[in-house]
Amino acid sequence: MNRRDLLHNISVTACILAIAVIGSAFFFLTTGNSNNASLIYVLAIVLISRYTYGYHPGIISSIIGVVAVNYFFTYPYGELNFSMTGYPITFIGMLAIALITSAATTHMKEQAEILAEREKLLMEAEKEKMRANLLRAVSHDLRTPLTAIIGSSSSYLDNRDQLSPQEKDQLVAHIYEDSNWLLNMVENLLTVTRIHTDTAASLNKSLEPVEEVVAEAVSRFRKRYPDSPVRVRTPEEFYMIPMDPTLIEQVLINLLENAVLHAHSQEPIDLTVICRDQNRIQFRVMDYGQGISPERLDTIFDGNPYGSGESADSKRGMGIGLSICKTIIHIHGGSITAANHENGAVFTFQLPLGEERE
Amino acid sequence: MSTKLSILIIEDEENICNFIRTSLQLQNYKIITASTAAEGLSIANSGSVDLILLDLGLPDMDGLNVIRQIRSWSSMPIIVISARTKEQEKVEALDIGADDYITKPFGTKELMARIRAAMRHSNRLASQDENYKRPYSHNGLVIDFDKRLITLNGQKIHLTQIEFKIVSLLAQNAGRVLTYDSILTHVWGPYIEQNNQILRVNMANVRRKLEKNPAEPQYILTEVGIGYRMAEED
Repeated sequence: MNRRDLLHNISVTACILAIAVIGSAFFFLTTGNSNNASLIYVLAIVLISRYTYGYHPGIISSIIGVVAVNYFFTYPYGELNFSMTGYPITFIGMLAIALITSAATTHMKEQAEILAEREKLLMEAEKEKMRANLLRAVSHDLRTPLTAIIGSSSSYLDNRDQLSPQEKDQLVAHIYEDSNWLLNMVENLLTVTRIHTDTAASLNKSLEPVEEVVAEAVSRFRKRYPDSPVRVRTPEEFYMIPMDPTLIEQVLINLLENAVLHAHSQEPIDLTVICRDQNRIQFRVMDYGQGISPERLDTIFDGNPYGSGESADSKRGMGIGLSICKTIIHIHGGSITAANHENGAVFTFQLPLGEERE
Repeated sequence: MSTKLSILIIEDEENICNFIRTSLQLQNYKIITASTAAEGLSIANSGSVDLILLDLGLPDMDGLNVIRQIRSWSSMPIIVISARTKEQEKVEALDIGADDYITKPFGTKELMARIRAAMRHSNRLASQDENYKRPYSHNGLVIDFDKRLITLNGQKIHLTQIEFKIVSLLAQNAGRVLTYDSILTHVWGPYIEQNNQILRVNMANVRRKLEKNPAEPQYILTEVGIGYRMAEED
């Protein structure tokens, strides 16, 4: 037993005993009847056993209780007299009550501790599993483009003389494309390191104009996918939202990239920002492609790139990208959803406007 | 220009050095490389350098210190090479005298544009008046600094005094990033509270007057967390 527990025991025991003494004395002095004294002491012992650690306080206080009742509240007052008939029974009774209550409460507390411990271990295991999932997904996602880059460059170096200029261009274009994909991957990982914990306090927030953040995200996206048209609409009014702009840009880029890679459509993607109500801004990325298979909708943000049998897309698993989006939006106090519309998929997220409104 | 401009690259990653050297040599620049800050500084001190490309993550010295040392005796253009996520580092580098920055990874086109803009503005210091009077023109937007007149596709645009000040400052530094703080100081004076909201609000108004779609600006580009950059002239 450590010092804190000991102190706790002593103070709880002393307090409850003192209250018991005062209570019994009060009854005794006002009614002249000492029958209640034993009852009050029994109650005190039960309470002490319940609110202290271990057996000792209960046993000690039951002894004190027996002695005190004997000394103060039974005839002859102010004297110890254990020879009265039935007294050993009282003593054994109080001792037994103390022991049984202590045993029961101690057992209860132990159980609760074990439960809490188990819960903690489970949480840790869950976290560990998530981390392992992320790592597995990352290495999977990194290896594919790296294989393509190494393959393309080595085939260029080895067969330089046999390759036609078009073939060379194609190889280099592939390298360029795959390294850009890798770059976004790495930037996603960087955003993960930017979020150390899942609390809003760790965010590096500042008030940013919605249109500027959207504009930068779109221009970075355009640089990477010059052939994928995006239609952008932002509100006519001027809104500033408290956010970490780097993270929100990453969310927008991830959603746009997701639309390009998974929609399999030439239709332009719609990125629309509207003011939903007084205190929320809604961002919507809508594509006009094949949509999301219904069985994936529920788990699409869970960071599992090995979705049910999507072999065609497995090369570009967006699992991590979307789970990062979810994390980022959540720590901004917003919400993100995925759904299908008549002809394609739509991702929507909302951010709170915060107090300072322009 | 008859002589080749010489560019000093201070960068410890050999692969990056090589790729910059290859692409810049094709553009007819003379390239000198240094892999440490000490080596770079001694080459810069020899006085044969016209522009410096500086990686902030050097093994032997903080890149910001390199800028400070060079700025203590020279105003030659310095372009900083930095990673995407380090906004604070970029702002600091710009505030202590770097001319511009470029984010890793970058393409050759982007790098060439930065170098051109930096060279042009360093020339401007020498012959300020002449160059400042020449109107800015890009993609239908014309800014006549002398007449304080802005036209978009021939149509006159009405800006407030402050808005005109911001736009002309950016236009005179076209192609170059200006930090929030430097714009605030230039437009509102040195005693303005360092709170960039007033600037962002004015910028939003300017954008609504100049740009077709404020979310896809053509003239004034946003570098979130750092500042604004006016598109290069045609």
